[in-house]
Amino acid sequence: MTLRSLSGFLGLALVALAASAVHLTQGTSEIGLADLLDLAIGRGDQLTRDVFMGSRLPRLLAGVVVGLAVGVSGALLQSVTRNPLASPDTLAINGGAWFAATLVAAFGLSLPLIGQGSVAFAGGLVGAAVVLALSGGASGPARLVLAGSALALALGSMTGMLLLLFEEETQSLFAWGNGNLVQISMDAPVKGAVVVGVVVLVSLLLSRRLDLIALGDDAATSLGVNVRLIQLVAVLLSVLLAALAVTVAGPMGFIGLCAPVMARLSGRWINDVHKHRVLLPLSGMIGIVLVVLADVLMRLVPRGPFAPGVPTGVATTFFGAMVLVGVARTFRQGGTVPEAPSARSRTGSPFKFTVPLVTGLVVLLAGATVLGLLAGHGWSLMGDDRLLMGDVVNWLGGNSGNYVTYTLEERVPRLLAATFAGAALALAGCATQAVCRNPLAEPGLLGVTAGAGVGAITCIAFAGISALWLINISALIGAAVAFAIVYAVSWRGGLDSIRLVLVGVGVAAVGQALISFILISSSPYDTQLALTWLNGSTYGRTYEQVVPLIIVVLLGLPILLRHRNDLDVMALDDDTPRVLGLSLERTRLLLLVTAVVLTAASAAAIGLVVFTGLVAPHAARAIVGSRHIRVLPVAMLLGAILVSVADTLGRNVIAPDQVPAGMVTALIGTPYFVWLLWRSRA
Amino acid sequence: MKKLHSLALIGLPLALALSACGTSETTDDAKSGDNAGGPVSITDSRGEKIELDSPATRVVSLEWMQTEALVSLGVMPVAHADGDAYNTWVANAQVDDSVKDVGKRAEPSFTEIMKADPELVIADSTSPEAIVKQLEDKDVPVLVLDTADGTRQLDLMKENVKTIAEAVGKTDKADKIIGDLDASLDAGKKAIAESDAAGAKFAMADGWAEGATVTIRLFGEGSLMSDLAEGLGLKNAWTGEVDKEWGLGTTDPEGLTKLGDDVRFFYNSPVEAEDVFGDELAKNPIWNKLEFVTSDHLYPLEKGVWTFGGPVSAQEFVDQVVADLTK
Repeated sequence: MTLRSLSGFLGLALVALAASAVHLTQGTSEIGLADLLDLAIGRGDQLTRDVFMGSRLPRLLAGVVVGLAVGVSGALLQSVTRNPLASPDTLAINGGAWFAATLVAAFGLSLPLIGQGSVAFAGGLVGAAVVLALSGGASGPARLVLAGSALALALGSMTGMLLLLFEEETQSLFAWGNGNLVQISMDAPVKGAVVVGVVVLVSLLLSRRLDLIALGDDAATSLGVNVRLIQLVAVLLSVLLAALAVTVAGPMGFIGLCAPVMARLSGRWINDVHKHRVLLPLSGMIGIVLVVLADVLMRLVPRGPFAPGVPTGVATTFFGAMVLVGVARTFRQGGTVPEAPSARSRTGSPFKFTVPLVTGLVVLLAGATVLGLLAGHGWSLMGDDRLLMGDVVNWLGGNSGNYVTYTLEERVPRLLAATFAGAALALAGCATQAVCRNPLAEPGLLGVTAGAGVGAITCIAFAGISALWLINISALIGAAVAFAIVYAVSWRGGLDSIRLVLVGVGVAAVGQALISFILISSSPYDTQLALTWLNGSTYGRTYEQVVPLIIVVLLGLPILLRHRNDLDVMALDDDTPRVLGLSLERTRLLLLVTAVVLTAASAAAIGLVVFTGLVAPHAARAIVGSRHIRVLPVAMLLGAILVSVADTLGRNVIAPDQVPAGMVTALIGTPYFVWLLWRSRA
Repeated sequence: MKKLHSLALIGLPLALALSACGTSETTDDAKSGDNAGGPVSITDSRGEKIELDSPATRVVSLEWMQTEALVSLGVMPVAHADGDAYNTWVANAQVDDSVKDVGKRAEPSFTEIMKADPELVIADSTSPEAIVKQLEDKDVPVLVLDTADGTRQLDLMKENVKTIAEAVGKTDKADKIIGDLDASLDAGKKAIAESDAAGAKFAMADGWAEGATVTIRLFGEGSLMSDLAEGLGLKNAWTGEVDKEWGLGTTDPEGLTKLGDDVRFFYNSPVEAEDVFGDELAKNPIWNKLEFVTSDHLYPLEKGVWTFGGPVSAQEFVDQVVADLTK
């Protein structure tokens, strides 16, 4: 190790020590620096010793353990998948662990620590295993992240559903789900430290082989490395680390993504950062510094009655995402980025006649509408509350009785909202995926959806407003601001599509962190309302809210259709449009703004619906190929059907309780998406 | 093959639609009920005037505190929100099996409420605005109550009980319940003053443990439990920051050192399986040295005291506190 590397490491260690020292002086009791110094020289009183051993030290140690575990976990994952976006978050490991823990809690089971750790590990492992199976080992980095993000979304929705349905049993999980360092005792952090230490050492033993794997599968194999085996071991180790972190403190968002990225970027100060014997410990140390610093800041900034309850993970996500945005800004089109979508995109269409196909879809949509109008309790047409077509006819003619009238008066605007929101999201997804040339690029990923959420939650929590139209306007403003930030930050003499998505991911995460922060710190008792809204509910919608959405869809479709050829060309690469004389940036901006308006309008009408913007365009491309003249109408209809059916199901399956439509779209969309990925394995 | 595909696509919904023809409605039933008592006129927390021809007998409540108040007044609601868990949380004002569930408090179902054919719906000021509007559009009277105000929690609760009693024609019963509660507070105050606990301070918390982490929520000044304890002559030892509506604050084990000595610590363990205070915190060195722990002044509440509830829960809480402190 050279002197420069050594001083780099020492510098980092000093930062970690300084942060830890400050960290120890913070707490909810009066014990301050002076008391601790007394304790250090052996003059401290019993209270100081108890507070130190019972609160300060466990919390610090928990932070250190979690930072180390998640940092190394992320580094392993990124190396194995050769993907800078891989992390416990994006590979559904955290999602799986949290879902498993929530499921256990929902059944009212209380497990000892080791049991909770095992549950988290099992959940994380299942998440990672499914993702890896879908992507066929580590052969396709883009597929890995795609599958992981899809699964994470579905798991997040299922967790959210459990949180909604088992509000009392799972009350603590909302905060815990964001990473909370408040420890009951030294027990967990000490045990965690030992196990994490061992796992990290084992990981270090793999360094040399991981270095070789970085050269590529063929090169590594020819040098005698069993690539698949090493990858499997590395993934198991990283899942174990992530699960340990989850058990000690809940999922600590974004550190696993951020720490290794920063480690790689520190090559200016430290030599050989690409070698794993340097990269792994460096990522771990950066992880520690990030978590401890985040916790220090978290306790400096928030004030108010619920401040001590605000989980540190909110700060790490906020902090980590900011770093990601900063890093992404410097990103140039490079080799390690996910390649373009390959979900069976063909230029030709397996359906020779698009017109019959569209007609068929229209009829299906009509069927979904009929189902939505008639289905009742227990979701089926046979349920208690089902209506019959004659009821609808009577209602339209103004001849229906009370029961039919109020049922349909409630159902019709909700159904319209769901249908058009689905259409709007699908169109927005088509536009963003083409413009960003990235299969992951949906408005949710560009931070627009989270921005809308921040706007709405700010309105609900701070202004105490429950008037829907005001919430909607705030959502619109939030979406526009988020998009403006993403666009402005990613603009560096042009708009690199990968940079745009990376910045978008960062801003989306900042938005999510802000939402959690506002929720937990200002009105923890509104979580149900907020959870519902955040997951796309059509509850209580009226025509005044639906009409603007319908207008936006009717305006957006022709704009996108007019630019269908531009979309085709943009989906290819950056150069072709320039060669063809297309004014790239202006068209890009126009198309993206259209997508934002469509997204914001749907968010305003039914809240945040994930997955539709991702899945509908994919499905459309799989059916009719990649030409947008076909993709746009087909995707729009598919999106409308998806959200409409999701809303009908969510309204009826567990009636009279309701599941927000967005949760159902994730549940319906994920198996389809998984199948799509499975079918198109390399 | 392709043709067949398209045909099936078209055929399915068509079949669906055809099979669903006809109508479901039979006859319009007459509105039930000639209720005893004259017309009622109440002003709710929004300042809206609710006019009823006679006291309501078919009532739907959208918040637990109101369900509890109704049951304790002897009026079983016809339906209420979040019904599934209510009976496990409110031990002394159980609802019958006949009481229908209308969905979650955050999203009560309009159709389900209407199916219950209510003469009055009692909503909370935090209930979704949409449902209130939808109901009023159908001429269903909606009584909106404010259930949280950190400056006068107990008085607000009593007021709400009286308002509800007026709407259902049970003002005598309300006076009795509230009178009983006040009498218990007075008697308890005297008994505590004469006991060992005289001059002691009071603290109450609930909390959760998850993984290795713990959250402790204190019922500070402004909470209903605090108002009741103050009514018993006790002083709340928690002086940390609390929210304006519910009087609640959050802390960690370290923060409990601020409670000081001579505190009687009550706690409510919300989840059956997890007793954070009796079990989990015993692993923590700070907790084990707290004065109320070492001197065994730690009192778990029996299950079923809804800490954000109405008169029956309040009565139960008062009885338990007095019994614990005068043992």
